[in-house]
Amino acid sequence: MSSTVTRTRVAVAAATAGIVVLAGCSSSGSSDNASAASCEPTKGKVTLQYWNTVPGMDKVVALWNKRHPDVQVETKNISNDQYGTLGNALKAGKAPDLAQVGYDELPNLRTQSAFVDASACTAAGAAKSKFVPWTWSQTSFGGTGVFAIPQDTGPMALYVRSDLFKKYGVAVPTTWDEYATAAEKLHKADPNLDMTFFDPNNAEWFNGLLWQNDARMYGYSGDKWQVTVDSAQSRQVAGYWQKLISEKVVRTDLAHGSTQMYAAYQKDRLATYVGAAWGYSMFRDNLPEQAGKWSIVPMPTWGANGSSGDWGGSTVAFMKGGRHLYESVEFNTWLNTDPDALAMENKLGGLYPAATAGLELPALKQGVPYYADEKIFDVFADASRKIDTSFSWGPTQKTVNLALQDAMAKAAAGDGSLTDALATAQSAALKSMKDQAIPATAGK
Amino acid sequence: MNNLTTTRESRAGRTAAMGLMLLLAVYFLLPVYFLVVAATKPQGDLAATNGLVFSHFDLFENLHVLFTRSDGVFGRWALNTVVYAVLGAATGTLISALCGYALAKFRFRGREFLFSVILGGVLVPTTALALPLFLLFSATGLVNTYLAVFLPSIVSPFGVYLARIFAGASVPQELIESARLDGAGEFRTFFSVAFRLMTPALVTIFLFQFVAIWNNFFLPMVMLQKESLFPITLGLYEWNGQTARAPLLQESVITGSLVSILPVIVVFILLQRFWRTGLAAGSLK
Repeated sequence: MSSTVTRTRVAVAAATAGIVVLAGCSSSGSSDNASAASCEPTKGKVTLQYWNTVPGMDKVVALWNKRHPDVQVETKNISNDQYGTLGNALKAGKAPDLAQVGYDELPNLRTQSAFVDASACTAAGAAKSKFVPWTWSQTSFGGTGVFAIPQDTGPMALYVRSDLFKKYGVAVPTTWDEYATAAEKLHKADPNLDMTFFDPNNAEWFNGLLWQNDARMYGYSGDKWQVTVDSAQSRQVAGYWQKLISEKVVRTDLAHGSTQMYAAYQKDRLATYVGAAWGYSMFRDNLPEQAGKWSIVPMPTWGANGSSGDWGGSTVAFMKGGRHLYESVEFNTWLNTDPDALAMENKLGGLYPAATAGLELPALKQGVPYYADEKIFDVFADASRKIDTSFSWGPTQKTVNLALQDAMAKAAAGDGSLTDALATAQSAALKSMKDQAIPATAGK
Repeated sequence: MNNLTTTRESRAGRTAAMGLMLLLAVYFLLPVYFLVVAATKPQGDLAATNGLVFSHFDLFENLHVLFTRSDGVFGRWALNTVVYAVLGAATGTLISALCGYALAKFRFRGREFLFSVILGGVLVPTTALALPLFLLFSATGLVNTYLAVFLPSIVSPFGVYLARIFAGASVPQELIESARLDGAGEFRTFFSVAFRLMTPALVTIFLFQFVAIWNNFFLPMVMLQKESLFPITLGLYEWNGQTARAPLLQESVITGSLVSILPVIVVFILLQRFWRTGLAAGSLK
């Protein structure tokens, strides 16, 4: 079943790739864009293209269009093949003015010169103070320009079945050491109960865990990428989870978001979920019968380091080829800082805002009925402020993620360990960058 | 004695055949059954309960959500699909009938060659044509319009083939001659005489086209960007891609799938009689 789906997707993707590439050839050659973008308002009516994957985004845009008759925005939902569609459009010179791009995909697209630097527009630079610090440091690549505006984030926290912890008299863990002890206790009390699941095919999730431990995967110095995927900090995280896997107190046979995963939670086989802010609706909607049994607490910490990590989230990037930078900046900052827009995006699309003002939305200040009326978003808002701002992604992140997943899946099956997987990912990072002639070296 | 064994054998054979067919029926109907069951469940029961057993009966609630979600865009998609499929199949059938009749009843130079080319067209999968069509339509500015899906849908080489075979077999030359003698023009002859005699074949062609257009996914995906032009297939695909962010969409995708197969089943049952007559039509020639 799933392999058929993948195959169809690949076929569809390949075919659409063909179309856009061909379309690119047939069109009479796209005009060359100057790399240093200027920021002049356009006279008359302007139409912007904005591609995204957010449910209900057309409604938010409709609100903007109503308020700004001269700057009309058209949306297109590209959730089925986000980066494939974008990549093809870029190759064909038909990219939209604005597109949703995940934080971890920004460096890759930047190396392909997919973005325009909007820092010539004063409004773009001025937006900096309105966002959670780490998001801005990623969209500006450490202050070298403004290539995207942050949209949403996935600060991480621990989802806990408080009823099960109470039932077996186990304290809710606040550090990873306590988490491991609690895992053992719960498993002893009920052999069918595991602490959580480790999905070896979800590198994005694992990267969030690395981020929490300040295990920076990349650095940049001396005109070279410093690859530190395999570092003392990352090995600490990998070793920790390897131990839980070896002791069989976490499951490795569940894919994140799968029916099997929900079924395991539904049958009380799993006690916690290490997740992000956007995950709260997954449990609410898929496991309604467990209402009141869940609470959300801060991530267990690594000793004295109180940081949290981030899993997912996106930006709205200024794409190369856009002809109306001034208006794009206007719309983009409105979209991601205006309280009305943020409230709609949160309600319809489940976005957890990257704007600090967004963290104060009334909807995010209330108790959530499913989580026993706890103010769960306070936990996420707090986590959001405690995310390492120096963490950055590599220009070949996708390749590295795939290599990491392959190796983690092997480790989960008993072939090698998670620590080995880091070494594999490290060499995959170096090799993929070398293949693309990106100067890189193993950092420390 | 001899007689008895034959009967016994044939009875055993019949039972085996029936058993095999029963097995196949179950095999083919199981996914439909699953779809019916899943469409009656609330989202929370999809993962939590056995997929083949009914739990809460929320079908009407699900339908209500389906048709009101995003300002009722599903209704729009359903209407689009009906327009594409009914108009496309009707026009396609008419064109096939005209072509087939002409190929069967008129002698002209290059007739067999033309027919061979059309037959060759049967072998080209429509999916392979989507890309060239996109380029053509892109150059003429038809991309992202109703016509982009409608125009390719009215072409059916198989329909032409079937119509030719059937016209040859069921429309006697004498009848056409006498119609001509009575002073009927060629179109009059076709519509008043030939068209009626060809009805079973035309229903078959209509059904083939209807189902093909109804289920068409790739062509609309290539051609359309505007949500308001989508057929159901493409709309559900888009929703399905968003379930990671909006989990409740999953139930709507399932309910929507059930709704989308109902018209095909109804059309099939209604036109089944003609279908059977028509299906064997080309087989002996």
